[in-house]
Amino acid sequence: MNGITLYAQLISTDNWHGAIPSHVGRTGILTANTENLRQLLAQCSLGNRRAFETLYRSVAPSLHSVALRCMGRRDLAEEVVQESFVRIWHNASRYEAHLSAPLTWMINITRNLAIDQLRKHRELPLSDLQQNAVADDTPGADEQLDSARSSRALSHCLEQLDGMQRQTITIAYFHGFSASELATQLAAPLGTVKSSIRRGMERLRRCLES
Amino acid sequence: MNYQTAERRRALAGDYAIGLMPPTARKRFEQLLLDDPHLRAELAQWDTHLASLAEPLSAQPVPEHVWQAIVSRIEPQKLHVPARRPFWTWLRTGVVICSLLIAVTVGLLYTRDNVQYKATLLSGTEQPGLRIEAHTDYLQVQPLQLAALDAGRSLELWAIPVDGKPVSLGLIPTGGDGMIGLSKSQQQLLGPHVVLAVSLEPKGGSTTGQPSGPVLYQGPLAAL
Repeated sequence: MNGITLYAQLISTDNWHGAIPSHVGRTGILTANTENLRQLLAQCSLGNRRAFETLYRSVAPSLHSVALRCMGRRDLAEEVVQESFVRIWHNASRYEAHLSAPLTWMINITRNLAIDQLRKHRELPLSDLQQNAVADDTPGADEQLDSARSSRALSHCLEQLDGMQRQTITIAYFHGFSASELATQLAAPLGTVKSSIRRGMERLRRCLES
Repeated sequence: MNYQTAERRRALAGDYAIGLMPPTARKRFEQLLLDDPHLRAELAQWDTHLASLAEPLSAQPVPEHVWQAIVSRIEPQKLHVPARRPFWTWLRTGVVICSLLIAVTVGLLYTRDNVQYKATLLSGTEQPGLRIEAHTDYLQVQPLQLAALDAGRSLELWAIPVDGKPVSLGLIPTGGDGMIGLSKSQQQLLGPHVVLAVSLEPKGGSTTGQPSGPVLYQGPLAAL
C-alpha cells in the first residue's frame, strides 16, 4: 500500500515547482561555491567533523530538494538525506575532483539512494490503482519541465527536445523508472522509449556543451 | 558487449547515468568503471549534464533531527555507547555489590552464629536448671527446670574466672528463655574453665557488683 501513497504524493509535490521564480536567472541549487565545497570534501576525507558540518549546512537544503523531488514525501526524503550524508562522510575520499563538481557528485549520491528506495517500493506488483496513479503522473511531467526552465541554458536545451524526450528523461532521472516501466506507462513500444531517451540525452548534452 | 569505440562507450555511459541498464549490465559496467578512468570521466560528463535537471529546484530547509541522526550514525562511539553504558555499568556494579554484601552478611552471620561454648547449669541437687550457649557476642539461654521466681526477684548470671571474682553477665530473661548481650570485656571473659553461676538477686540485679544472694545454679563452660 506504500506504493500508492508514494505515487499520489509524487504527483502532488510536482506542483511545488510552480513556486520557483522563472526569470531570476541562475539562483538554483547548483550555484554553490564549487571550490569551497571541494575543500570541505577534502577535509571530510581526512575525518574533519567540523568541515563535515559546514558541508552539511551548505548543501543539505539542495540535496533535500533533490530527494524530495525523487521521493515526493518529506519523511522519505529526509531519510534519503540522512543516508546521503552518512555516505558522503564515509566516501569523501572517493570523490574525484577532476571529473565532476562536488555538488554534482553529491546530488548523484542522493539521487541514486532515492531511486534505490523507489525501486524497492515498486518491486511490489502494481495494482490497478497504482497503474492509474502512474499513468496520471505522466501529463504532469511536461509541466515539471516547463517550470524547470529557470536556468536559461538548460531551458534552451530542453526546448530542443520533443515532449516525449523531456518526459522520459525527467521521469527516468528523478524516479528511476526503467525503460520498460516507462514503456508501460506511456503505452509506447520499449524500443521507441529507449531510443527517445538516448536521442534526447545526446541532444541535451550537445546543446549544453556548445 | 563492445566497449571499444568512443561512441559506444559514450552511449553506454549515458544509459548507465540515466538508468536504462538492466541490473546485470549495470553491475558489469560498474566493474569496468573500477579500472577505466576514461570511462569514469565519460560517466562524469553525463552526470554533470543530467544534474542540471536539478538546477531549477529550490533549496528545501532540513529539520534539525536529520543532522542529529547523521551525527549519531557517524559517531556511534560518542553517541550510542555512552547513552547505554552507564545504565548497564550501574546495573552490573549494583549486582556485584549486592551479591558481595549478601555473601559477606551471610558469612558473618554464619561465623557469628557459631556456638563457641556451652554450659548446662545445675541446681544444688544436681538437677539441670538452665542451658546456655555462648555465641560471639551474646548468650542464648534456655530454661530446663527453673525454680519459680517471686515478683520482686531477678536471676543474675555470673562468670567466675579460674582465680578471680565473679563478673556479672546480666540478668536471666524473665521465664529463663532469651538472649543476653555481651560487651567486649564480657566476651573476653568467656573461655574454658570459666564457671557460670546464677544467683538470686533483688529485682534488677545485685547492687554491689558481686552476687548478694544464694547461687541457685552453676556449671562450667565447655568448648565445642
